[in-house]
Amino acid sequence: MMDGVFAGVVTAFSVYNILMVTVGCFAGTFIGMLPGLGPISAIALMIPITYGMDPSSGLILIAGVYYGAIFGGSTSSILINAPGVAGTVASSFDGYPMAKGGQAGKALAIAAYSSFSGGTIAAIFLLFAAPALAKVSLSFQSSDYFALMVLGLTAVAAFAGKGKFLKAAIMTIFGLMLATVGTDSDSGIARFTFGRLDLIDGISFLLLAMAAFALSEAMMNILDKKEQTQQEKDELNKSIGSLKLTREEVKEMAPTVARSSVLGFFVGVLPGAGATIASFLAYGMERSFANVKEKLKFGKGSIKGLAAPESANNAACSGSFVPLLTLGIPGSGTTAIILGALISYGIQPGPTMYVDNPTLFWSVIVSMYLGNLVLLVLNLPLIPYIAKLLTLPKQLLLPLIIFFSLIGVYLVTFNNFDIYMMTLFAVVALFLRIIDFPMAPMILGFILGGMMEDNLRRALTISDGSLAFLWERPITLTILILTVIMLLMPLVSEIYGKMKKGKEI
Amino acid sequence: MTKNAIGSIFFLAFSSFYFFNVFSIKKMPMSQFDVMTASTFPFYMGLAGIVISLLIFIMSFVDKDTDFLELSYIKSLDFKTTLYFIAAMIFYGFTIRSLGFIISTVIFLAIGFVLLKEKNVKRIFLISVGVSVGFYLILNNVLGVYIDPGMVVEYFVGDQS
Repeated sequence: MMDGVFAGVVTAFSVYNILMVTVGCFAGTFIGMLPGLGPISAIALMIPITYGMDPSSGLILIAGVYYGAIFGGSTSSILINAPGVAGTVASSFDGYPMAKGGQAGKALAIAAYSSFSGGTIAAIFLLFAAPALAKVSLSFQSSDYFALMVLGLTAVAAFAGKGKFLKAAIMTIFGLMLATVGTDSDSGIARFTFGRLDLIDGISFLLLAMAAFALSEAMMNILDKKEQTQQEKDELNKSIGSLKLTREEVKEMAPTVARSSVLGFFVGVLPGAGATIASFLAYGMERSFANVKEKLKFGKGSIKGLAAPESANNAACSGSFVPLLTLGIPGSGTTAIILGALISYGIQPGPTMYVDNPTLFWSVIVSMYLGNLVLLVLNLPLIPYIAKLLTLPKQLLLPLIIFFSLIGVYLVTFNNFDIYMMTLFAVVALFLRIIDFPMAPMILGFILGGMMEDNLRRALTISDGSLAFLWERPITLTILILTVIMLLMPLVSEIYGKMKKGKEI
Repeated sequence: MTKNAIGSIFFLAFSSFYFFNVFSIKKMPMSQFDVMTASTFPFYMGLAGIVISLLIFIMSFVDKDTDFLELSYIKSLDFKTTLYFIAAMIFYGFTIRSLGFIISTVIFLAIGFVLLKEKNVKRIFLISVGVSVGFYLILNNVLGVYIDPGMVVEYFVGDQS
């Protein structure tokens, strides 16, 4: 293991890769700050650039973009109460009141230090959890992988929130359906191509990701006509004040950061949960731990109220890499995009990646930590200047985002049919956004669709067409039982909620 | 109509269309002996799509869903500019090969800025030309991705490749 860690450190600390992680952090911070554009869009926009790089550098750039986008989302949450990312919504509860009270610099510093600490604690956990899980998963067979994918997709729907279970489920199925377009990998038979050669290779994941996220988000901004208010402009032009924290403040937030980081990491590991749930859980946990006097401060500029979601969302980001790197199964929309990027580099993440590609495996883990360091050392002091980019007029930014989305996909195939297809998917995604159907389960279903079908086919072939593979192996059975529990969870919580309501009446 | 009901109708239509097309997937000779054919997975996906969209439709009435797609919200949306943008994107796809990267990008960006009511002509010109020429140079000279500048540019400047 130590050889791998050493090789990873050497790779991550090469001048070129340090440059990549720095560029990634800056680009991610900028894109993440733009309201509506989150880490998925930021990563999707960067993928075409990474095609010319070696996989380690490409992934290091992507990891930098991921952390940068989360930090950028926090910045817009704190400064103008407009979270660019769902995972930073909880940061605005106390961050924005602090900024309004003239302590924007302090709030940004708390966010940065908490994120850094959360990232550090999670990186240490990752260092031990990832190889352990990778070793266990070496014994996994196709039936276990199939069950794991079913669990991952079910979890995304189960964690979608109250009343959104079926919506997330249909979006997952939609993604799985789109994944079947193109040539069947086993028989070589064309499916749903309608005689078009352009569809014979299927729908490109980059095209779908870019259309469903970056392009449709930019178009939603055009459709919505939401202009930056004068108040928002004034807040951005205001001086952010000192970035320094006192010793008492550091002491106050230290236990919060430690607790929230551990919670965030484990929530991040769970498929489907991710940074948003982690940040809200951590916020809720800190609020319940606080004494009566501290509780009153929550929502009005509490240091703990800001430190908790910030450390949890960053730790969850690292945690979400565990199932991706060790099992090859993404637990969130963002890691699904990263998985797509890895596959397009010709790398199949999973236990074999840990064995076959230790340098890549460890360099990604090391560079995640490096990303956190870059954010703290470079981005934080520069944040007053980076924040000024938010004042760039929308009429100049949106056409540029649309251009980069279109050209990013076009440059991979040089086929203008892709531009038409992207436009079509963006229109569908726009419609689905208007009626509040989530996009992340769709991309997750799309990425996992091919692998799920392959594993199901393999499992069925091994068991000679019998469905007994579902309960013959203890691992498969355990995972499937977990899936059923997860499937029933929304139903049980709804019945419990109704019973509680009935009692109150 | 509620948002869920609208979404369920859309997915019911899509899933039905998908399910109907599963039956036109060709079969290999002797495929009846295979445990899984090219249409097995799509068959169950199509079926699941129909079942879940029907469930959403039914639940939107059972749960007395109140999340309506308000007419006032629809009226507040800028469909005209969005439709023009969609047309501009299709136009960009149509011209990127015939006019070449630089000219089609300049036109697309300029149309985009004008559609979003940017009034400063000098700014429109500088950004659209700067971005397309700059991006073209970076692609060709730094990233090593050759992209056709287009016949018009080649006529005036000559082939730079």
